[in-house]
Amino acid sequence: MPAGARFVTRRLLRGVLTMWFAVTVTFFLLRLLPGDPALAVADPTMTDELRAELLRDYGLDRPLAVQYWEYLTQLLHGNLGVSFRQNQPVLDILLERLPWTLLLAGSALVVTVALGIPLGVVAATRAKGTLDRLIQVGGITGQSLFIPSIGVFLLYVFGVVFGILPIGGAMDDDVYGLAAYGSIALHLILPCLSLVLVQLGSYVLTLRSTLIDALGEDYCTLARAKGLPNRKVVWRHALRNALLPTTTLVGLQLGFLVGGAVLTESIYAYPGVGRAIFEAVGQLDFPVLQGAFLMLAFAVIVANLLTDLAYGLLDPRVRTS
Amino acid sequence: MTTELVMPSGGDTPPPAAAATPAAGGLPPSESVARQTWQSFRRNPLGLVSAGVLILLGLVALAAPLIADYPSGYGEEVLAGPGAGHWFGTDDLGRDVFAQVIWGTRVSIVVGLAASLLAIVIGVLVGVAAAYFRPADLVLGVIVDVSLSLPVLPLMILVAALAGPSVPTLVVVIAVFSWPEVARVVRSQGLAVVPMPYVSAAHVIGGSHLWIIRKHVLPGVAPVVAVSVVLTTSRAVLSEAGLSFLGLGDPNSWSWGTILHQAQRSGSLATAWWTTLFPSLAILLLVVATTLLAVAYNDARNPRTR
Repeated sequence: MPAGARFVTRRLLRGVLTMWFAVTVTFFLLRLLPGDPALAVADPTMTDELRAELLRDYGLDRPLAVQYWEYLTQLLHGNLGVSFRQNQPVLDILLERLPWTLLLAGSALVVTVALGIPLGVVAATRAKGTLDRLIQVGGITGQSLFIPSIGVFLLYVFGVVFGILPIGGAMDDDVYGLAAYGSIALHLILPCLSLVLVQLGSYVLTLRSTLIDALGEDYCTLARAKGLPNRKVVWRHALRNALLPTTTLVGLQLGFLVGGAVLTESIYAYPGVGRAIFEAVGQLDFPVLQGAFLMLAFAVIVANLLTDLAYGLLDPRVRTS
Repeated sequence: MTTELVMPSGGDTPPPAAAATPAAGGLPPSESVARQTWQSFRRNPLGLVSAGVLILLGLVALAAPLIADYPSGYGEEVLAGPGAGHWFGTDDLGRDVFAQVIWGTRVSIVVGLAASLLAIVIGVLVGVAAAYFRPADLVLGVIVDVSLSLPVLPLMILVAALAGPSVPTLVVVIAVFSWPEVARVVRSQGLAVVPMPYVSAAHVIGGSHLWIIRKHVLPGVAPVVAVSVVLTTSRAVLSEAGLSFLGLGDPNSWSWGTILHQAQRSGSLATAWWTTLFPSLAILLLVVATTLLAVAYNDARNPRTR
């Protein structure tokens, strides 16, 4: 098999394995936890017969292995169960919400990388300078922010005090056509900015340190020696190599980004999967909580796979190693 | 490890004679690494201030009953701004926000520390086992990688909601989903330590696996574990705040996240700024201080940046 095909197969297998792991962990956590699933559906005063009937209805009286097999087959058919409170398939509820979360998390990632690369380059090329110190302190502070805090702060300043940006939701009800896109963009600014502020630090700090290392390598010294302008040495030679660890970071940060999106959507009443989680917590709607985790895990795994494959195209070392 | 990090006020102050030697030109080679690290650490104002802030927060957590009455019941002044009577104002039920933040410090720090210690124990065991026993690494390494790439917060939410909100639930849930990060850094440091000649030498003289791990591998990974304790604690505090903010905190106690949850629930989140500003500042203070402490410790330990 050629190296490229092997690379793609390996990454695909890895994605499948990760999803299987997520599904299995969820299944066993739910079954092994002290809480009785039947208690969650009905009130605790019900009779034993009623409880037994409920357990049977949900298939919870059968052996664990049978339940596990059943669970896997149902998931493969896209069955995430039925919401306790809304009497609607969980998949339908969540699929309606997913595009908003993808829009929010995706735009946050793009903006973070678009700002992170130049900031990292500035910090690395002026290492130990005032600007570098500022960027470092800013990065550490940003990473330390609690998302609801920064969310409320932005909402208070731009939504309440200045009143220039909407304070919640994803779009206005009464707009159509081009105006609708404008409305969506306006509603996206604050949630996206909250996520970017928290994420930016790790990208900038990682890129800064890998870029400083790359700039000390022989090939950069050679590039300078043959008279290349510094700008070209940095952007053409050092940056390309320094981006590899940053791409790995995307993979590590995607899960964190999604967690941040859950908190952000809760603050801004943004109608994504995260907001569905927030509402489901209040109503103890466990099927929605479980479905939301599996769906977000799936989204993260697919995104990870795409990042890996894209990087494999750009960097031959990744393909062959 | 914890004691080493929070040491500044501890009893390990170098005697005057030792303090005088650097003036004579560099530290003598017999000086221990720990002392060199401390010598360098105490010249770093950021590290000292961070350590001071953390000690202060720890004291606040310990002395909460002496500082403020437990915030309960209802007060007469509803949503009063910060003033002489209520330093941080009051919430929608007239409860003192200052008292909430003080008592919240206690729960936030207890949950953060307990979850972090549990995560560290699991993470170190798994990380060292993966680095030392190569066949185990195949399985453990994959488990760690795979769990690191999953969105952890939604999973924590699911489990915390099922198990029912309480302080022990929070501790266990946060720890169970935080150890892979610890295992990752311990494993990668362990992979550098295990092939060292002194470990091979220990094998040659017939040392048992357990003895080698205890005497040679663990000390080798100790510095990253020290940093990990600090960073995991701050992440655990953030996780606790996130879960509590979503309504999964212990309903019978105050934590910083609970204060924000109450503010959100009552709708005073955006109008009464003091109900959110002060708990937010407390979280920020703790997390920035722990991060800077970890950075300062790393710099002090590294001979190149010392």
